[in-house]
Amino acid sequence: MNRIEKRLALLEEAGHKAFITYMTAGLPDIERCAELIRVQEEAGTDILELGIPFSDPVADGPVIQDASFRSIQKGTNLKKVFDMVEKLRTEGCEIPLVFMMYYNTVSFYGLAAFAAKCAAVGIDGLIIPDLPYEEQGNLKKVLDKTSEAPILIQLVAPVSKQRIPMILKNARGFVYCVSSMGVTGQDATFHKDILQYLQKVRSVSTIPVMMGFGIRTAQDIMPMKDVIDGCIVGSHFIQLMEQNQYNTEVIKEYITTFKNEMNGVK
Amino acid sequence: MSESYYGEYGGQFVSESLMNTLHELEEAFHEAVKDPEFMKEYHYYLKEYVGRETPLYLASRISDKYGCKIYLKREDLNHTGAHKINNVIGQILLAKRMGKTKVIAETGAGQHGVATATGAALFNMECTVYMGTEDIERQHLNVMRMEMLGAKVVGVQSGSNTLKDATNEAIRTWAKTAEDTFYIIGSAVGPHPYPMMVKEFQRIISVEAKRQFLEKENRLPDAVIACVGGGSNSIGMFAEFIQDKEVELIGVEAAGMGISSGKHAAAIAAGKAGILHGMRSYLLQDEDGNVKLAHSISAGLDYPGVGPEHAYLNDTKRVKYVSVTDAEAMEALSELCRTEGIIPAIESAHALAYAFKKAKSMRKTQSMVICLSGRGDKDAATIEAYFNGEEYLN
Repeated sequence: MNRIEKRLALLEEAGHKAFITYMTAGLPDIERCAELIRVQEEAGTDILELGIPFSDPVADGPVIQDASFRSIQKGTNLKKVFDMVEKLRTEGCEIPLVFMMYYNTVSFYGLAAFAAKCAAVGIDGLIIPDLPYEEQGNLKKVLDKTSEAPILIQLVAPVSKQRIPMILKNARGFVYCVSSMGVTGQDATFHKDILQYLQKVRSVSTIPVMMGFGIRTAQDIMPMKDVIDGCIVGSHFIQLMEQNQYNTEVIKEYITTFKNEMNGVK
Repeated sequence: MSESYYGEYGGQFVSESLMNTLHELEEAFHEAVKDPEFMKEYHYYLKEYVGRETPLYLASRISDKYGCKIYLKREDLNHTGAHKINNVIGQILLAKRMGKTKVIAETGAGQHGVATATGAALFNMECTVYMGTEDIERQHLNVMRMEMLGAKVVGVQSGSNTLKDATNEAIRTWAKTAEDTFYIIGSAVGPHPYPMMVKEFQRIISVEAKRQFLEKENRLPDAVIACVGGGSNSIGMFAEFIQDKEVELIGVEAAGMGISSGKHAAAIAAGKAGILHGMRSYLLQDEDGNVKLAHSISAGLDYPGVGPEHAYLNDTKRVKYVSVTDAEAMEALSELCRTEGIIPAIESAHALAYAFKKAKSMRKTQSMVICLSGRGDKDAATIEAYFNGEEYLN
């Protein structure tokens, strides 16, 4: 069973929400990035999104743009990230891993080769923000033919409206609800109709509903906690790691606190 | 969705947040171009405000020198100094029709930015233009013009600080504000329906040129030549000739310091298929699939991709794509200044440079039409620096 689906099933059983983080792969360098993944697995991050740096990250705000740029400067590329993941998996790391990447990186690698490599090293999901439903056909065909292929995670936006049932048909893993219009990391300025929108997704979705973009603390999501099954923290998490020189204690503390507060554990 | 593709190029590679916006735009565009009132208004502004039609001028001294008939389609004589205004008038009327109150645009050379700022002033809309900081420096005159016209110019400092990065920032802003903001794309690039819209609103160039040429020569030209960055003047210049197989169509890319130097902007000559700015097309990429920085002395051609229809026209061999270097373009620019008294934009000088090369092998009875897409006033500082032997920007 896919690691994402397995983890989400366990959480559902326990009545807990999922805590998902995003980090740009290759920061502060590829070795320490691998270490940070282990630290997060230990601290209880449920699913980890690894951002594959791209030169033109149009779906990202300034924090992830900057992280992406620095990672490329350090020589990070898809091949090195695959190697890192392969090594982690051999060492027994079992945290569900999702690649967040732009479609050009997939297309450049070659769709079939990419799907096969993801399956081989143990990538569980893909989030591709510039690959909307209508353009997913070619990739889906390839993923369907690959055994143990990663799940193509579907994104919905506050303006998706009538598109939601179409997008969610056959969707697997979880649905990624973008909390605001535009790009990642906008400091809890969620869309004005956020609740109605999430309720609409909730009413259609047969899989867990996650909210991402602009979330910093568990308080940010309190007004929506009854309609979501978890959340994704990206830009804020990157800033937190940067500002604390990737101090693992600070990272663990943040994850534990967020999870406890989100799940109402005192 | 097949309408969004030219062969395997094009598509809509944008975030989910923009998909409904694109579908609304598609619908509004198709309705508008079928509405005689809309087209009447578009043509009214092209005539009364832009100053169309533009002349198809037989450049006689150049023609004598090269021994064939060389016609220039004078888009440089449009209001604001380039072909860009044709498309802006079309898109801004569409924005108005859709009830949008704000427009945003990206710009490289600043011509599209100036045209958008102009249209926004004319139709009383709030206008923000995104421009790379390097382009702001080398196209200072156009920055001043945009500001005089009431637009806000936002400097974009990321990546190469040029058109590609300005486009990224415009797309980000659009994704945030699409509910009340219309994104006016200036080149034949971007997600569907933009390449199609830009072609329709630039088609006027070849509609006029074909009619004018038939009136003067009572036949079709042997060759039609235009420069290609993203490809808006060229797609407009080619549009009405694509079906006339006997007319050779030539697109001229910027070879910068030479293709082999790696410092160029020739996406068709040296790129491979990739995805950027909402479209699949030829794209300059490095060994990791990141987008490579383009180089050209011309800010308007300094773009690592190309419009998807051009990629298709290349693969189907209907259009021949060639490239000329910075040096060749500057020589042609200088030649046109001195023999015809016309200072062309450096972008357009790329088309001239190839045309002059080609003309040498043509017969006296043969003829060509070159799209003189813009005037060179904006390039005065770059031209001066170049001919003084100083290191020109980028």
